[in-house]
Amino acid sequence: MKCFTYDGSFSGLLTCVYEAYYIEMPDKIEKALIYKPNFIYQEEHIETDMDKYRKVYMALKEKVSEHSLKNIYYVYLSEAKDCDTLILKYIKLAFKLGPRTDLYHNNEIVMSIRQLREKVSKEALRMLEFIRFKNINNLYYSSIEPDHYVLPIITNHFKTRLPDQNFIIHDLKRNEAAIYNKKEWMIIPFTREEGEKLINKSDQVFYEKLWRNYFKSISINERKNEKLQKNHMPQRYWKHMTEMME
Amino acid sequence: MDINEKLRILSAAAKYDVSCSSSGGTRQNTEGGIGNSFKSGLCHSFSSDGRCISLLKILLTNYCSYDCAYCINRISNDVERAAFTPEEAADLTINFYRRNYIEGLFLSSAVFKNPNYTMELLIRTVRILREDYRFNGYIHLKAIPGADEKLIHTAGLYADRISVNIELPSRESLKLLAPQKNQDSIFNPMKLIKNSIINNKKDLVLYKSTPKFVPAGQSTQLIIGATPDSDLSIMNMAENLYESYKLKRVYYSAYVPVSNSPKLNGILRAPLIREHRLYQADWLLRFYGFKAKELLDENNPNLNISMDPKADWAIRNIEKFPLEINKASLKSLIRVPGIGLKSAERIIQARTVSGIDYDDLKKLGVVMKRAKYFITCNGKWRGEFSFREALLKDRLSLGFQENMYQQISFF
Repeated sequence: MKCFTYDGSFSGLLTCVYEAYYIEMPDKIEKALIYKPNFIYQEEHIETDMDKYRKVYMALKEKVSEHSLKNIYYVYLSEAKDCDTLILKYIKLAFKLGPRTDLYHNNEIVMSIRQLREKVSKEALRMLEFIRFKNINNLYYSSIEPDHYVLPIITNHFKTRLPDQNFIIHDLKRNEAAIYNKKEWMIIPFTREEGEKLINKSDQVFYEKLWRNYFKSISINERKNEKLQKNHMPQRYWKHMTEMME
Repeated sequence: MDINEKLRILSAAAKYDVSCSSSGGTRQNTEGGIGNSFKSGLCHSFSSDGRCISLLKILLTNYCSYDCAYCINRISNDVERAAFTPEEAADLTINFYRRNYIEGLFLSSAVFKNPNYTMELLIRTVRILREDYRFNGYIHLKAIPGADEKLIHTAGLYADRISVNIELPSRESLKLLAPQKNQDSIFNPMKLIKNSIINNKKDLVLYKSTPKFVPAGQSTQLIIGATPDSDLSIMNMAENLYESYKLKRVYYSAYVPVSNSPKLNGILRAPLIREHRLYQADWLLRFYGFKAKELLDENNPNLNISMDPKADWAIRNIEKFPLEINKASLKSLIRVPGIGLKSAERIIQARTVSGIDYDDLKKLGVVMKRAKYFITCNGKWRGEFSFREALLKDRLSLGFQENMYQQISFF
């Protein structure tokens, strides 16, 4: 059986889709970094080609729908197991069904795509809520470890909201950071050590203390319900949240 | 007094106000400004009682000249008192906002000196935020009952939402527990806010530069369980507030004994399950097209504790079921227990491209555990037993009886 591998970029993934139609339909697509050679699959590495990427992108936009295109992008960001292969299946289906693809809620592939997209949207929303900035000499730094690769879809929110402050949103899991300099933002490689160096310089804990203080006193003890709290705010996010640190 | 102390006292004094929502705002950031609204609101944290923390919720001061029996800040109560200056409150808001702790400010106050004086202090705070800091985040202000109309109108030009708390569901209860407030001092400002919102919408059509008045609408809060008012009178009141006063939200707050006033002696904490059922019923009014009189009536004045109000309604109206999934309208689909707005919409969408099979329903997000008794799919019914009221009641109830009402505990 055939497995395409690619460089892990979204344009690389859509290039694979292009080649699937022009060379051979693979049984699997996998990021080259994750792929482990095995006896079942025969690997073919696909080089990212921006022209081919654009062709697939435009075809999806025009022949299917922007909604479906967004689905594909979000599922790509999910980094879920076998999501690349799922995307290929979805695209094959979408080119057959056209603009009405996403109305087939009872189709297994459409359903899986919708569920993954919802997972990514949900986590992105949670990041908008749970990100905590530390003020380090007027540089606002925050660290996160999201399940999905949400950095590209959350940063703009902070740019429009806090346009006059320099900020860094550091994804520790992926060793990347979105940095913003009061004009524009970009995603760059950023290690854990670089992040730790920054935090060590931090000394403005006045408002952090106030916030922890507020967090405690706003709770109604007679209604204590920690299970509900954890449902809304899963524990895996706590270690980066000011009010949940000791 | 240290700012930490003030924050501790004045947030603890504000915590019994339920509302913390930041939804419905449409404010965009401006050139050189800070902040914007997020349409559906954002919950930045959740406190250990499981409630959303979206806004910095504080009283400007808890020095109060009123003596409302249900209220922790009443003049006759011996509690720590504190007051923020408007500058301090604004500074806290901005610094919390910059760190992404909050969506904005929910500012309320005890009645300090008199209603007008208090209202002016609140306005000064939001003016600092909007004009000095050019803050475009969410601001929820409490209208102080009895404050001058002009002041409430001014406040509305700065705030995204204004609320006037009704507190108690009937005139009699109010008289008993809040002698200095009366229903007019509560409903008059509500009327005023409603009319100003309507006029403002007209003006916005005519003049583009008109400042928006309370763009996220108004809300209110009722304390339940401190007085003998029934769910029927509460839901009727809520319905009236949504329809005639165009309120965005009515909040229900299960009474927590915060005082040992003789007027409230012996009243226990209201069960949280009652509050929960009221919210469910409230949702049915606002999003599911139900009327209060469908859910409750004179013979049935309180919501069923053991079953959610939609299931309860469906069982009492068993003749309307089962419903054929492939034919029913959106309006009737959302009345089926186990089918929500989203799954109903998916059913309608999927129907435009293909028929729906019984096994598809789960994929569409229908909760079959509850829905299966009330639907057929291509004529198939899989409710497991014969379609009778008593059997259904048994299956759908939470598994406890009416006499356990007082024992239910969530902790």
